[in-house]
Amino acid sequence: MLDFVVKRSLQVIIVVFLALTAVFFLIRLSGDPTALFLPPDTSREQIEEYREILGFNRPLYVQYGEFVGNAIQGDFGQSLRSGESALGLVLARLPATFQLAFSALFISLLISIPLGVLAAYKRNSIFDRIAVAATVVGQAIPSFWLGLLLIYTFAVSFSLLPSSGGGSIVHLILPSVTLATYSIARFTRFTRSTMLDVLRKDYIRTAKASGAPTGSLVLKYALKNSLIPIITLVALDLGTLLGGAVVVEMVFAWPGVGRLLLQSLLNRDFPIVLAGVFIIAFIYSIVNFIADILYAYVNPQIRVK
Amino acid sequence: MKKYVLPIFLLVVLFILTACTEGTSEQPGKSNNTDSTTNSSGNKVESKKDSIVIGFEADAGTLIANTDVNYATDAQIRNIYDPLITRDSKTGKYIPFLAESWESLDELTWRITVKEGVKFHNGADFNAESVKFSIDYILDENNGSFYRSRWANISEVEVISPTEVEIRTSVPFPGLIERITGDLLILEPGYVAEVGKDEAAKKPVGTGPYKFVEWSRDNYLKLEAFEEYWNGAPSIKQVEFRYIPEFSSRLSAFLSGEIDLFKNIPVDSVQSVEADANSKIAEVSSSRINYLALNTHYKGPLQDEKVRLAINYAVDVDELISAILNGHATKMTGPLSKINSNYTETTDYSYDADKAIALLKEAGYAPEDITLTLDTPNGRYPMDAQVAQAIAAQLQRIGIKVNVQVNEWGTHLEKIRNREMKDMYILGWGPAFEPDSTIFDLFTQNAPYSGFYDEAIEKEIVEATKIFDNAKRKEAYNKIQHLLVDTAAWVPLWQQGDLYAVRKDLKFEPRVDEEIKVFEMSWE
Repeated sequence: MLDFVVKRSLQVIIVVFLALTAVFFLIRLSGDPTALFLPPDTSREQIEEYREILGFNRPLYVQYGEFVGNAIQGDFGQSLRSGESALGLVLARLPATFQLAFSALFISLLISIPLGVLAAYKRNSIFDRIAVAATVVGQAIPSFWLGLLLIYTFAVSFSLLPSSGGGSIVHLILPSVTLATYSIARFTRFTRSTMLDVLRKDYIRTAKASGAPTGSLVLKYALKNSLIPIITLVALDLGTLLGGAVVVEMVFAWPGVGRLLLQSLLNRDFPIVLAGVFIIAFIYSIVNFIADILYAYVNPQIRVK
Repeated sequence: MKKYVLPIFLLVVLFILTACTEGTSEQPGKSNNTDSTTNSSGNKVESKKDSIVIGFEADAGTLIANTDVNYATDAQIRNIYDPLITRDSKTGKYIPFLAESWESLDELTWRITVKEGVKFHNGADFNAESVKFSIDYILDENNGSFYRSRWANISEVEVISPTEVEIRTSVPFPGLIERITGDLLILEPGYVAEVGKDEAAKKPVGTGPYKFVEWSRDNYLKLEAFEEYWNGAPSIKQVEFRYIPEFSSRLSAFLSGEIDLFKNIPVDSVQSVEADANSKIAEVSSSRINYLALNTHYKGPLQDEKVRLAINYAVDVDELISAILNGHATKMTGPLSKINSNYTETTDYSYDADKAIALLKEAGYAPEDITLTLDTPNGRYPMDAQVAQAIAAQLQRIGIKVNVQVNEWGTHLEKIRNREMKDMYILGWGPAFEPDSTIFDLFTQNAPYSGFYDEAIEKEIVEATKIFDNAKRKEAYNKIQHLLVDTAAWVPLWQQGDLYAVRKDLKFEPRVDEEIKVFEMSWE
């Protein structure tokens, strides 16, 4: 087990390092940010002076070397715009992003697993068909459109919920439902198909023949064995939810990491972008890492291997 | 039991996070800012008479003055800090504010007399020392002010008496008053020294009409009235700036009553605001101008004056204003808008396709032989990309082929600054109240923004910027304006129509300088 953990930890480090390197060079392709922060009437000499202060006049490999050296010590530099610690700014947005991602995940699990199990159990019934149709729609709806639709319905038309902003449970409802829609559809479809596979297995037939009650048959024998692939999917999706909530955060003005990242990218505030990518890549890797360990927990076979 | 572990774990994590997150304790529906959510009910309207929520597309970069050159930052902190000189909200003329008066003693020295009896939010007195500190703050490299480049001509600031300060410049600098008006806000020296600039950037102290209360990054900035304000207590007591990056969400927040005011409504959404019974549109012809640059630095047909002139005749600005901007703009004919202090009337090249074709022939071109590139940002100026498409179509009418290139704003600006632009590009400029900050910064060789350069005209411009005498200065700039129009330096388009969505019972007059001064607003 220790071997396994060490090996996976090394993988996490490599993934994060590669992601940072790729982003470092890619954002440099978008050009020098200095001029964007200065008044338009700044002369060329003055822009040069600022480039020197900010260090953008040095060769790219020197900048990269310095960046790696500092990043290893947890220093991602200061925001070019406000001069505050870039990592600090990102970390301050993290609770909001976690809140949104976990609520979305919670909502999706709460709805999708019973739905998927039921659809599988009542295969080919009207319920099953409606559920499958709904999941297709759920996966196809673009989140920005759904977000605006929900805002229009619940905030503008009925004044039931705030349209945007962050901080409280009430503010959380619309964005987390929007973010959850895609996952609900994905999880439901996946739970259904995994359950269908398992329900066809011999041991289920045996259990059924030996007179096991339906409830325990489905929940105890079938669902438990369907959990492993579901955990993989949930882990992957949690990573996506944590890092990919950019659109939802923008539409709902949710003060999270995704929105900060996008705005910093548009402002060419490179240190914040890199700190944000670091945090997201790190979380994504860690979540997958935890998922691997959870497998072992759920399936003793993996542990033995 | 094991199968419940994951959901239970997630539930616990969710609630812990909810409990830990900033601002969770406050229910939005209960705060006075969202009272307006249900503003159809009488009692809610009553309670919001002394508070206002203003929507912004972006957070302030920092709350310390004189640092971040950015509209969102400036518009918000000008409610906390005061300037020495402000502008008339309609004409843009200088009005003394914390300054009592100013005079130029000689070409290199200015004396400013400041008001007495003004207090900062922390009780400290405002005086000449605060002025010196605020200018020195910009000039000090360690403070990382992006304004510093514009103040490079300042050599020294000396306090003469508690109410008098002298500013010395290294070269004659008639534009100093413009710099002071546009950039300088007054900091409290004692406070910044005591808490440090990092802390002062999070909890600002100024002499302005509103005191800092709370700032939640990317979420909101809350201010409250400074009752001892030297200019009288503000009518609106609670102010919240709320950050909603997405326009549709901002509009929804406005229509649902969560925000009372926001700037920059696209012309195609004006109707949805006007259709709402609780809302109105406020509009002002801004000092910000939009133009079509004709790049003479790029080797192509536009280096020929006749071709530039032909383009001026072929672009129908009136049609663009009525068809694309629904009339929300004020046409310009020369380099300066009517609001500019040295504006003079110049020739209006109105639409004339035949003349355009004739001019191209004179220049030795058949229109069909010309293919031009037109770069535009997308969403930086009202309907910019659509305007570019329409200009392309208008030029196509006389046979010129135009390829429109739509850029992300940062890329657009960088292409201009690196002189990587090809034939034409769309750009805006402002606030443009003074000829120096428009003509000098646009039409000289080192200024990349107009794409136009002419050695003889540059000489005239450089001379004009040195003139202290107002009448002579105006005369010099009149001549330059005519020269620029005669050589068809660019295609002037319009002054932007600034559009604001406003709650119907809010007394609000939009300002030509785009500032959002809550002090000037009140509820009916």
